[in-house]
Amino acid sequence: MHDPDAEDVAKAGRGDRDAAARLIARHSAKLLTVAGRMLSSRAEAEDAVQEVFLRLWTHAGRWRPGGAKFETWLYRVMLNQCYDRLRRRPTQPLEEAAEMADEAPLPGAGLDDGQVGREIARALETLPERQKAAILLCHFKECGNIEAAEIMGLSVEALESLLARGRRALRARLQHLKGFAGDGP
Amino acid sequence: MTDESSDRIFAERALKRLPAEIPPLGFEAALLSAYDAWNERRPQGRWAAFRAGLNQFSESIWPGAPAWAPASAFAVALLLGAGLGVTLPSILADEQPAFSLEQPSAFTLSAADAAQEDM
Repeated sequence: MHDPDAEDVAKAGRGDRDAAARLIARHSAKLLTVAGRMLSSRAEAEDAVQEVFLRLWTHAGRWRPGGAKFETWLYRVMLNQCYDRLRRRPTQPLEEAAEMADEAPLPGAGLDDGQVGREIARALETLPERQKAAILLCHFKECGNIEAAEIMGLSVEALESLLARGRRALRARLQHLKGFAGDGP
Repeated sequence: MTDESSDRIFAERALKRLPAEIPPLGFEAALLSAYDAWNERRPQGRWAAFRAGLNQFSESIWPGAPAWAPASAFAVALLLGAGLGVTLPSILADEQPAFSLEQPSAFTLSAADAAQEDM
């Protein structure tokens, strides 16, 4: 299996700045997008991606092609970073959660594009972390089920089950937006 | 259409409506300067190259193990070999018969014996 990053990882580990720049250019934007959606915080996502790249540099010298694909490893590190940060967050008191739910517009209320986007982001935010990770990897990283399962350390069947539950939950949370973006009447 | 596939289509459409995440200006530059900082701290020079070579060699003979594991296995094998090399010949020499066809026992005639033989 050809790994397009393997050579650059080895070079970056030996101090090749151009190779490091290529790896950053290839992966940082997508990592930031997935981390941003996982953490719902831009600043925290940036910190997480910084941390992922620091880990990459320290491990680059020892990277051996032939095992897992480099990108799989990179996204697994990123997801672990996100899980750690989510678990360190203080749990939200029940009253506060209820207040947030009240902010949702009533069904049928007219929403502009920005409001729809925020509604969707909020619905995504409330999904359980593994369901959210599965959906984000498949959508934003555009990886197939096999690759996403490998990143998450799951069987393909388990990933498919997570995806199905996540999508169902997302749809249920967005019922009040029925009719948006060409979703049937 | 099954529920599952309609859920999938709904989710795909919903996620496409999310506002695009554009990396902030200078984000890549910040990552690269973190690389530079790491690269400056990274041990360099002959000793680092030697260690890297040693690590690579130990990886090739014992992947995933820390460097001391193959090094100690090699040291134990070397000691065992050297020990056998030193002790085995003397043990074998003790067990050798006094005479053998391949290696006739060596003896010299003393000058007195030689004189007696001449008589």
